[in-house]
Amino acid sequence: MDQLLVFINAYLVPGIVSGSIYALGAIGLTLLFGVLRFTHFAHGDVMTAGAYFALTAIGLFGLHPVLALPIAMVCTSALCLCINHFFYRPLMRRPSLVLTISSFGIALMIRASIQLLYGVESHYYVRGIQRSTDFLGTFRIVDRHIWIVCCAIVLMVALHLLLTYTRLGKAMRAVSDSPELARLTGISTLAIVKATWVIGGSLAAVAGVFLGWDGFIQANMGWDLLLPMSAAAILGGLGRPYGAMVGGLVIGLAEELSSYPWFGGDALLSPGYKTGVAFTIMVAMLIWRPNGLFGGRVQ
Amino acid sequence: MQKSYPKLVTSTALCLWLVVSQSSAARADIRIGSLSALTGPAADLVKQVFAAEQAAIDEINSAGGILGQQATLISADTACNAQVGVDAANKLVNVEQVAAIVGGTCSGETIPAASNVAGPAGVLMVSPVSTSPEITKLDDKGVLFRVVPSDNFQGIYMARMLLSKGITKVALTYVNNDYGVGLAEAFRTAYLAGGGTIAGDSVHEDKKESYRAELATLAGGGAQTLVLFAIGDSSGLTIMRQSLESGLFEKFAVADGMKVSALLDGIGAENLEGRIIGSVPTAAVGPQSDRFKELYGHTDKFTFGYTFTAQGYDAAMITALAIEKAGSTDRRAILNAVRDVANAPGEVVGPGDWAKAVQLIKAGKDINYSGAAGDHEFDENGDIEGVFAEWTVKSGEVVVSPAVALGR
Repeated sequence: MDQLLVFINAYLVPGIVSGSIYALGAIGLTLLFGVLRFTHFAHGDVMTAGAYFALTAIGLFGLHPVLALPIAMVCTSALCLCINHFFYRPLMRRPSLVLTISSFGIALMIRASIQLLYGVESHYYVRGIQRSTDFLGTFRIVDRHIWIVCCAIVLMVALHLLLTYTRLGKAMRAVSDSPELARLTGISTLAIVKATWVIGGSLAAVAGVFLGWDGFIQANMGWDLLLPMSAAAILGGLGRPYGAMVGGLVIGLAEELSSYPWFGGDALLSPGYKTGVAFTIMVAMLIWRPNGLFGGRVQ
Repeated sequence: MQKSYPKLVTSTALCLWLVVSQSSAARADIRIGSLSALTGPAADLVKQVFAAEQAAIDEINSAGGILGQQATLISADTACNAQVGVDAANKLVNVEQVAAIVGGTCSGETIPAASNVAGPAGVLMVSPVSTSPEITKLDDKGVLFRVVPSDNFQGIYMARMLLSKGITKVALTYVNNDYGVGLAEAFRTAYLAGGGTIAGDSVHEDKKESYRAELATLAGGGAQTLVLFAIGDSSGLTIMRQSLESGLFEKFAVADGMKVSALLDGIGAENLEGRIIGSVPTAAVGPQSDRFKELYGHTDKFTFGYTFTAQGYDAAMITALAIEKAGSTDRRAILNAVRDVANAPGEVVGPGDWAKAVQLIKAGKDINYSGAAGDHEFDENGDIEGVFAEWTVKSGEVVVSPAVALGR
């Protein structure tokens, strides 16, 4: 019983929390890949930007991190639209490699701007520590983890509804399936691209805020998360938003659970190699199932 | 593509010419590089160290400069990362053509920068921060000196400090880099030899969101105190926060990397009250450190008393003195002059004595720089002996106890 509690509190819950954060980031990555056909390497830094927008809002108005989410989402979406307008759109007709490389440049620009404006030190949304609440007398969960997981679920359900039941969602899926056919049927690709940036940017902002809330806010935070996020997107199949949701959770859980002492005494894998787990999964997927678990756009 | 090729060559040539002309124009000054982790996990600390280095260079310039010329400190960011560190060192050595380097900061960047870049090029490096024991035995072709003691000494000091307080059972976790691993090895050996028990011993990776899995395993050993060798505004902060939040560990023993303001701001001093004890390499108390306080205790150049700021100042001073003694910016001559200016015998010079030191050197006299942080007598490995202090948090502030010397 005691062992089960340790498993839930120290391995399962953190795994689900980081999995939710990876999933939110990976959805944006995968949606952008579906519509624009390039891997957006600046996505991690877009997350960081979202975290800093929320930091500013919290600093100015003394908001709760959850209430700062809408502000961060709006500002990050605006940032993404600007980046798209000034950098990616002029390059749209070039080979996708050009876009990929330029997204590296954008990543550096965002990070450097943040470092100029906010400095290189770590920042926090909430000072001090939050003692965990006891649930049913046994589970000990910190409030913010409940917030993070609930918000992530709400956003994913909202995205599902949007993709399935609205004209915009259907158009997005159409463009993702075949841009040429979609254009022929009269769908404005430009509008869809913009909508994708807004959705991807907003979700990245939420992921960034959650990441900062659970740890600390630093200019490198998003960039450091790019690897597990890409792994999640590839695992689910690039271009597949539902795949990215599952992929994020799988990567998050795999990282945490790999260090659980499954066979008695010692950790199965030294926690020092956690980062390697995401990388291994990504490489293995690329070798054996490059289309992802659910069949992606890469052939 | 074929057509634009000549254009590309022309523009590249133009750019190169610009770069070359720029750097040769600026070469009238004495150029000193600062290899510093200005971004990344140690940024909070290194920012202050760099400011202290700059303060020393400013002081030298206002007292007449090096070899009668103005000195410039050129920074190159290493991000506390081995690969970026090597690139930065390459930039300083080959592009900026610096005479010598102050730095690096994180041990993980200093080691490859010294063995792969500065060593082969014969460029002096004086590190104010890198404490890894690995540096002692490093094949650096004699270019790397440091004004902080090896963690071999700090590990022993911490082991003795805990045992003297009757703490005989601890859990140990350390960050997976040269700093954490080196410190942990020294501590483990000394603590076990002193009769302590280590119940739970695990390495952790920097920059992760959750360390609860590691902490749960460590707490399984039954120890009350967690010995945590990490950096205070990165994994160290997250680990401390998560163990307090989940009630796994309530007491912490830490080293110099955790003595940063981000830790107090992030966790809240009230939560650390009586829970944390730490060690820190510190400045020896003496006339030179008093003089340093007189000069910089009330300026806004850097936060006086911040970890490794005195060492940053001293590293810049020793580098500048070596150039002055060498009489030119010849890298080999500078390297050979370091022990002449820093080690006994010789007339003692210290902080604020630049003009005096220059006069003594011109008169052909031997000098012995004794700095803000200690005497800095380099041994054959470029290491110095250590002076350590204990620190804790009392009534919302960091309190540092008197220093204890610990040498070879």
